[in-house]
Amino acid sequence: MRMLRRLVMVEWSGLAAAIVLGGIILSWVAPNFLTEFNLYVMLRSFCVSLLVGFAQMVTLGVGQLNLSVGALGGLVAICFGGMMEVLGVPLPVAVVAAVVLGAAGGLVNGLLTVRTGINGFIITLATASAFTGINFGITRSIPFYKMPPVLVAFGEQHLSAFPYLLIAPLIVAALLGLFFARTVPGRHLLAVGGNPNAADLSGISRNRAVVVAHALSGTLAGIAAILAVAQLGSAQPTIGADWLLLSFAAPIIGGAALTGGYISVLGTMFAVVLIALIENGMVLAKVDPYWVQFLLGALILAAVWLNRWRAVRTGTD
Amino acid sequence: MSDEAISEAPAPQRLLNIGMLLAQFGLVIIILAFWVFFASQASGFLSPFNLFNIGRALAIDIIIGFAQMVVLATGGMNLAVGAIGVCAVMTAGYLMQTVGLPVWLAVVGALALGAALGWLNGFAIVRTGVNAFIITLASANLFSGGMLILTKAVPLNRLPPAVSAFGRMKIGFVSPLLIVALSLGVLLFVLFRYTTLGRQILAAGANARAAAMSGVPVGRIIVIAHTLSGLLAAIAGVLLVSRLGAAMPSVGGNDWLLPSFLGPVIGGTLLSGGFVSVVGSALGALLVTTIRSGLLVLQIGSFWLDFFLGVILLFAVLVDRYRRVYAERIKMVRR
Repeated sequence: MRMLRRLVMVEWSGLAAAIVLGGIILSWVAPNFLTEFNLYVMLRSFCVSLLVGFAQMVTLGVGQLNLSVGALGGLVAICFGGMMEVLGVPLPVAVVAAVVLGAAGGLVNGLLTVRTGINGFIITLATASAFTGINFGITRSIPFYKMPPVLVAFGEQHLSAFPYLLIAPLIVAALLGLFFARTVPGRHLLAVGGNPNAADLSGISRNRAVVVAHALSGTLAGIAAILAVAQLGSAQPTIGADWLLLSFAAPIIGGAALTGGYISVLGTMFAVVLIALIENGMVLAKVDPYWVQFLLGALILAAVWLNRWRAVRTGTD
Repeated sequence: MSDEAISEAPAPQRLLNIGMLLAQFGLVIIILAFWVFFASQASGFLSPFNLFNIGRALAIDIIIGFAQMVVLATGGMNLAVGAIGVCAVMTAGYLMQTVGLPVWLAVVGALALGAALGWLNGFAIVRTGVNAFIITLASANLFSGGMLILTKAVPLNRLPPAVSAFGRMKIGFVSPLLIVALSLGVLLFVLFRYTTLGRQILAAGANARAAAMSGVPVGRIIVIAHTLSGLLAAIAGVLLVSRLGAAMPSVGGNDWLLPSFLGPVIGGTLLSGGFVSVVGSALGALLVTTIRSGLLVLQIGSFWLDFFLGVILLFAVLVDRYRRVYAERIKMVRR
């Protein structure tokens, strides 16, 4: 009984149960679910979503939020594609440049937030609009189609059900886990998110932590954009347009505290698996795609309510 | 607030008011500069046709800004303004076209739905104690998703002719839509200036704990503000139906997110709550509509529009920031 209660208190226990249950139901209802191809499709869609969730998770960790994750992702995606198609930049250079661009965009967010002392919400709302504007101003809504064959192949190749694309997010997840658990800047980031005043008094620079979090968030959005281009085989200006809800859904369902100071890399991963499972189930059941949006909204509310309930319980215990 | 009350107000408040007036004066100058620029660049900008169109678009932008402003007053925010707006749009269309209700009844139904959805937001925020951002982000998707599931994203375009006739009507070259928006502005001005409810909303936003201790029912005030926000979003939706002459499921949603914040924030409404500017919010909306229309007339197209709006928002918050730092300095010198 005590074991069970402790298990319930672990933030991802409910998620793991939901995933197992959902998987069993889906494989029972839809015979197509466990085919190699379907699992491959699901894992492939998992890659970009996970990085998008991480991009928001790091800003939530420091007690900020970043509305520009999707807009920055879109801008990086078309710059990445444009560099290769129009300027003829070789792939490795373009990848590095794209990641740097993402980091630079995040840095702008962070510096503006810290220097002006204005709410990060309004800063990133403004920069999101600016990034989207530059994106559409450059491309006039026309995608870049001629991507290097190596990149497209990387986006498509797979070993049985395991897409090569998945390698990148798994490495990023491991590094992020290490960053938050074992490195000084990672611990500082969470300390500032947990209690900015206490962190200040312990000699941790609040401003630096916020800037680091935003820059990291931009970097992750940039990597997500590169993977999205690889996955689609073209650099679409609309990449990132639908990342907003997803970016908040994943970390929050994964148990991140909205007030900052607590995040869970593993929880976020489980949340993205659950979201991918739901989307896949909707496709297999041939339900209106609109249900996904509806269910994600409901899922966030449920997760927030559950976290709240758990906080109250652990507070009184 | 009478003159006496103003003279008794503490110095920072008075300075904030003076700073506010200066900022609004500055905003008027900026808007005028844009008008002169666009009029000199494109002869079509000042044509009665274009002015009429600007007025129609402005009316809806103003009300969207008001819908955000009443929640910003409490120190919260409402990301579901666009979602509630589109729900009202489709409800109005459904009640008129499919059910065949008279227009006024359908409008009442759509407004009631908007208020009810706003109430749900407020209720969820107060009950769970979770911040408004995440609740309204989730509810925005619940509302939009629910609307799309029910309507299957099919537009309703066989509405009674009276609806689009109202949208096309001209009084001089002023659209009645604009008159509705300005009347709402007057009502909101009176609400926040002269009524207990309005003062309570601002008190709850300025300092929730102090307000609660002075006997303001903060929870109920927040629910009321969200209900009002939902109602205003629904009014914007209904006006949009009349302007387009059809109920489209593709309007509203995330497209209203930026304009809803632009108007109030440019106009000087504080994000932290406790202070609103109805006139500033309307002026902010005018600036946004002017730029949108100007770029269209100059045929720069809408591609760069988002960029300009983002930069202007950034500029506005920076100016606001330094204005307050400056006001703080004056205060210290006077001491």
